[in-house]
Amino acid sequence: MKLNMNVQKLFRRPLFGIFLLFGIIAVSTSWVCIATVDSQLSEEYESNSRGIAQTIADASVDIILNRDLSALQSLIDQFLEIQGISYIYIVNEDGEFLAHTFVPGIPGEILASDPANIDTVERVLAGADSYVEVGSPILAGVAGSVHIGMDKSVITLKIQQAVGRQMYLISSIFLVGIVAAIMLMNLAARPVEHLLTYAVQLARAEQEGGPVPGALLERDDEAGQLARLLLYFSRVADPEKAGALARPEAS
Amino acid sequence: MRALTRRKFLRASILGGLAASWFGRGAALAQDETGGSPAGFHEGISDDEILLGTSAAFSGPSRGLGIELYRGAQACFARVNERGGVGGRRIGLRLYDDGYQPVPSVQNTMELLLRDRVFALFGYVGTPTVTRVLPILKKFQEENVYMFFPFTGAQPQREPPYGEFAFNLRASYREETAGLVENFLRIGRRRIAVFYQADAYGRSGWAGVREALGARGEQIVGEATYTRGAAYGRGMGEQVEILRDAGPDAVICIGAYGACAAFLRDAIDLGLEVPIANLSFVGSENLLQLITDSVDDSERYTRYLVNSQVVPSYEDESIPVVREYAELMDRYRPEVPEPLRQPDYVPFDRSFVSLEGFVNAKMLVEILGRMGDSPSRDRLEQAVFTVRDYDLGIGEMVSFSEQRRQGMQRLYYTVVDRGRFVPLDDWRARFG
Repeated sequence: MKLNMNVQKLFRRPLFGIFLLFGIIAVSTSWVCIATVDSQLSEEYESNSRGIAQTIADASVDIILNRDLSALQSLIDQFLEIQGISYIYIVNEDGEFLAHTFVPGIPGEILASDPANIDTVERVLAGADSYVEVGSPILAGVAGSVHIGMDKSVITLKIQQAVGRQMYLISSIFLVGIVAAIMLMNLAARPVEHLLTYAVQLARAEQEGGPVPGALLERDDEAGQLARLLLYFSRVADPEKAGALARPEAS
Repeated sequence: MRALTRRKFLRASILGGLAASWFGRGAALAQDETGGSPAGFHEGISDDEILLGTSAAFSGPSRGLGIELYRGAQACFARVNERGGVGGRRIGLRLYDDGYQPVPSVQNTMELLLRDRVFALFGYVGTPTVTRVLPILKKFQEENVYMFFPFTGAQPQREPPYGEFAFNLRASYREETAGLVENFLRIGRRRIAVFYQADAYGRSGWAGVREALGARGEQIVGEATYTRGAAYGRGMGEQVEILRDAGPDAVICIGAYGACAAFLRDAIDLGLEVPIANLSFVGSENLLQLITDSVDDSERYTRYLVNSQVVPSYEDESIPVVREYAELMDRYRPEVPEPLRQPDYVPFDRSFVSLEGFVNAKMLVEILGRMGDSPSRDRLEQAVFTVRDYDLGIGEMVSFSEQRRQGMQRLYYTVVDRGRFVPLDDWRARFG
C-alpha cells in the first residue's frame, strides 16, 4: 500500500498542535531530568568525596605526625585515580600545603582561599574547569585539613548522557507518532475527499445532464448522509427533479 | 541510575584499584634472565643459583635509569658468576619492566614473589614505585622478603613502618637536599625554589628542602610541579614562569632527566639564570646528553647546572671501586636482555647510575657470601647486620645494624665542564 504523507489542509493545525505538544513534553521532561540528575549526581559525588576526604584525613594523622610526607603524597595520588576527583591537597594547621596534586603549581584562587574552610565551595580555576571542593578536618582540624576537588564537567557529561538518551527516546516516539498521526488523519480525511469528488461529479451531472454517481449515496455513514443531502439540495434547486428525491433512499 | 552509597563507592574504588593492579598486566614485560623454571626453587635458592627479582624502568621517559642501574649491577654479577658464583651458586636476576609506574611495579612484585619465588628484591627504581611495593613486603614479612638497595633516597623505606623490610646503601634525599641547601646558603643564595615531580619522589625531595631551609630559618620561596613521565620534548615554560615570579637565587629540581633537562633548557631560554641543582636520581649523563644533543651552545645552559651524587665520579680511578667498575664494564659490556632492550637507547660507557648499580651489586654479593654454603631468607637480615666498617673500596666504610639500615652517607657534587661532569670543589667560585 502506498503511504500518502501529504497532510490534508484540514488537519494541518491539529498536526501543528501535536508538534507543539511533543515539544512541550520534550522540554519539560528534559528539564526535570537535568534537574534530577544534576541534583542526585552532585549530592552523590559530594557525599562520596566527603567520604574519601574523611578516609584520607583519618589515614593522614599517623603520616603527618610520624612519617615522611612522601607517604602522604603517595596516599593522595592513589585516590586521584578515582573518576571525577581532579585535585587533592592537604594543609597543616598553619595553612601550609603539605601535599597536593596540582601541576604546574597551586592555583592562585586556592592559595588565596581560607585553607581552614572545609565547607563545600564551588571554584572556577583560571585556565581550567569548574570544580566542587569538599574538605575534611584532620584530628578535628588541629592537624590541618584535606580538600578534594571534583570536576563538574564529569557531572555535566553524565547529565548530557542522561538527557541525550531521553531525547533519543522522545524523538523516536515523536517520529513514530507523527507518521501514525498523518496516516490516521489521512484515513479520517478520505470520506471528506470522496464527498468532495462526489459534489464535483454531481455538479457536473446537473450541468451536463449526465448520470448521477450513486456509490457514495449507498453508504450508511455520515459521508453517505451528506451525499444524499447534497443530492437533495441539488434537486430542491431544480423542482423538476424533486420527485426523484425519494428514489435513492428507497433503493 | 543506581545510587552508590559512600561505603560501597569507597569499597569499589579500593577493590577496583587492587583488581586493576593485579589483573591489568599491560605495561609489564618479563624477562627470565636465568632461563630456568621456578620449579626446584625454595625461597629463590636452588643448588646452583640464587634468584633475585627486579622491577625497574626499562621503557618510557625514565628508562635510562633502570637500564644503567641494571648494567652496572650486571657487570658485577657477571664477574661473580664467571668465578663460580656465591658459595657455588650463580646469581640470577629476573627482570620486569614497570616503566617507572606504581601499578605495574606492584604487579611485577607480586609476580616475583608468588610465581618466580625470588630470594630477595634488588635494584628497584623510583620512589612512587617503591613506596607502593613496601606494604607488600610487610604482608610477606613472615617469609622474610627483603628489598635491597633501591635506587631512591626517599624516607618510606628508611623509617617505620616499612623501614625494617628494606636495606639502603645510598644517601637519602633528605641528606642530598640538606647538602644542596647548606651549600647554597653558604654562598649567600638564600631564596631557594623547588621544581619537582608531582608524586611521592617529588614530595620527598620537597620535604627535604623544606626541612633543611626551616632548620636555618628560611622557607621555600616558590614551587612548581610537573607530571611524572614528562619527556624532554614537553615545554616547561609555565613552571619556569611560576618560579621566575618568585625571584629565586637557586632552584632545586627533584625529577627525572627528561623533565629536568626540559626545565633547564626553558629556564635559561626564559632568562631564569640561577644555579639549577638536581638530585642523584636525575640520571646526570642522560640529562646532559639531552641538552648537548638539542641546543647549539650547550655551555650556556650547563654552566648553571649542579648535580648531587651518591657515588664518586666514575672517572676518578684513584678510587678502587671505580677502577674495578671501569674494568668490568669494559670487559663484559653488559646489556639489557633482548625482550627488554630498547633499540633506540644507546647505553653509556660509564655513568653515575651504572656505578651505583655496580656498588649495590658488590655489596649484595658480600652479604650473600656471609651466609656461607646454606643461604636462606631467615638468615639474610642477620647476615646484613654482620657488615660493620666494611671497606667497599669507595672511600667510605659501610655498616649496617638494626638501627642503621642505610650503608653510606657521603655526597658528591658535580658540575659540567667541557661536556663532562667533574667534581665541584668551590661553590663560591662557581656560583657565588
